[in-house]
Amino acid sequence: MPEPIIHIENVHKHFGRIHALRGISLDVKIGEVVVILGPSGSGKSTLLRCINHLEVYDHGTITVDGTLLKTAKDINVVRREVGMVFQSFNLFAHLTALENLTLAQRKVRKRSKAEAHKVAMELLEKVGIVEKAHAYPAQLSGGQQQRVAIARALAMNPKIMLFDEPTSALDPEMIKEVLDVMLALAKEGMTMVVVSHEMGFARAAASRAIFMDEGQIVEEGKPEKLFSSPTQERTKLFLSKVLQI
Amino acid sequence: MPSDGFFRNLGRVFSKKPPDLAEQSPAPKLDFILGAEPREKLDPWWWLVAVVVLLAVLLMAIKPDPYWNIFLFVRDGLAITVELTAISFVFIIIVGLFGGLGRIAKNPVIHFIATIYVEVIRGVPLLVQLIWWYFAAPVIIQDIGNIIHFDALANYRANPLFLAVVGLVICYGAYMAEIFRAGIQSISKGQMEASRSLGMSYMQSMTYVVLPQAIRVVLPPVGNEFIMLLKDTSLVSVVAVADLTRRGREFMAAHFNPLEVWTLIALIYLILTLVSARFIAWLEKKRKY
Repeated sequence: MPEPIIHIENVHKHFGRIHALRGISLDVKIGEVVVILGPSGSGKSTLLRCINHLEVYDHGTITVDGTLLKTAKDINVVRREVGMVFQSFNLFAHLTALENLTLAQRKVRKRSKAEAHKVAMELLEKVGIVEKAHAYPAQLSGGQQQRVAIARALAMNPKIMLFDEPTSALDPEMIKEVLDVMLALAKEGMTMVVVSHEMGFARAAASRAIFMDEGQIVEEGKPEKLFSSPTQERTKLFLSKVLQI
Repeated sequence: MPSDGFFRNLGRVFSKKPPDLAEQSPAPKLDFILGAEPREKLDPWWWLVAVVVLLAVLLMAIKPDPYWNIFLFVRDGLAITVELTAISFVFIIIVGLFGGLGRIAKNPVIHFIATIYVEVIRGVPLLVQLIWWYFAAPVIIQDIGNIIHFDALANYRANPLFLAVVGLVICYGAYMAEIFRAGIQSISKGQMEASRSLGMSYMQSMTYVVLPQAIRVVLPPVGNEFIMLLKDTSLVSVVAVADLTRRGREFMAAHFNPLEVWTLIALIYLILTLVSARFIAWLEKKRKY
């Protein structure tokens, strides 16, 4: 059995008096696509942000690609292997799409200008937005921005990709173009942890779906099974609300 | 700290980029070639500069005695004022940048020092600070020299221009720190998070992602500070710096014509500040991306 690339054990996180994560344990193996869903405030985004240490957990252990986060000498070494895509895209507003992709390649991966440029153009091509390479984020639609953001994370050749509600800030007609990119990525065997309520994506790509509530993992299983016949009352209640829409 | 990349981004902020136009047609690409761009419309407020300059020139031409004589007399003071403003401003930007970073630092010691600096300095009038640096600071230096028997310090004689720069930089640096702090904080947290998530360090993220965007935000208040500084340099005339104001006072003391002296001095300051304001407005227009 292969070692899990992400190993989370009994993780707790407090925000002041709010107990956001209450003993989460989760393993993700190489090539797995894990979709996390749950009501807002359930701690799913917090959990995701703990995986690349954007949030510092209080208790427990998280090991990513063999490095224990708490004691990591240089957290940046871990982060360069873990791409992250945000709900609000967070493209660098003062840089073009192309420059968004090349900046970290050059500063962190120390690639030459030509090499970074080549990688960036290939990825922009891949996410179908190469014609906007010289456009600034403000000139792009939400869907285009999110595709550039995915390409920006991929440019670092990460081993893991984290998606924090990547389609929640998008207009409905733009959701598909982003999901298509994510689907293609999943097919290529990328290890992905996705916080999202996109059932279609979960069904098509996820090897596992996890339902979280109140800082705990309530239920997990194959997406088909979790969505059609959940065993826990809270999962049923949540799914009935989500599926109504 | 602000390495080559920072200044390149700074250049980018100031360089002209008409992205909307670039999308519509290939022609505006010419904008990047000097001289090929369509004539930029002259800032309409230049007329005010022209009127004031004309007024000053007319006064000197029609009544060379005393106006032209006053001008000849205060010209070295004018140079001092400009020099003092320019040199101080460079250091104020540096102090302000580090002060601003200190104010948002997570490290409690750095944050404490930066906060104390800002709060103390903002609480004391600039004039008092300038006097303190000129009259009080040398006493401390001499006392230390006497205690450690180091003659170079014990015989220290105040250098008015140097201490004036120190006083202006320390005082204005505190205000500038607050401007930089606000500018950095106005950039969405997501920009820093996205940068950190790519494996860039805090300093790299600041240098390449946050500061280039913050500059755009702080440009108007920084420009404001520059004009205030230009005018406040007149305070150094009380601490033995022969600036424009002090030279004016000297001329008045010799010739007893306050009306002419102070009218011309006021006009000269006005020309300096109006031109600065136009330059700042031009920069603000350039920095748009």
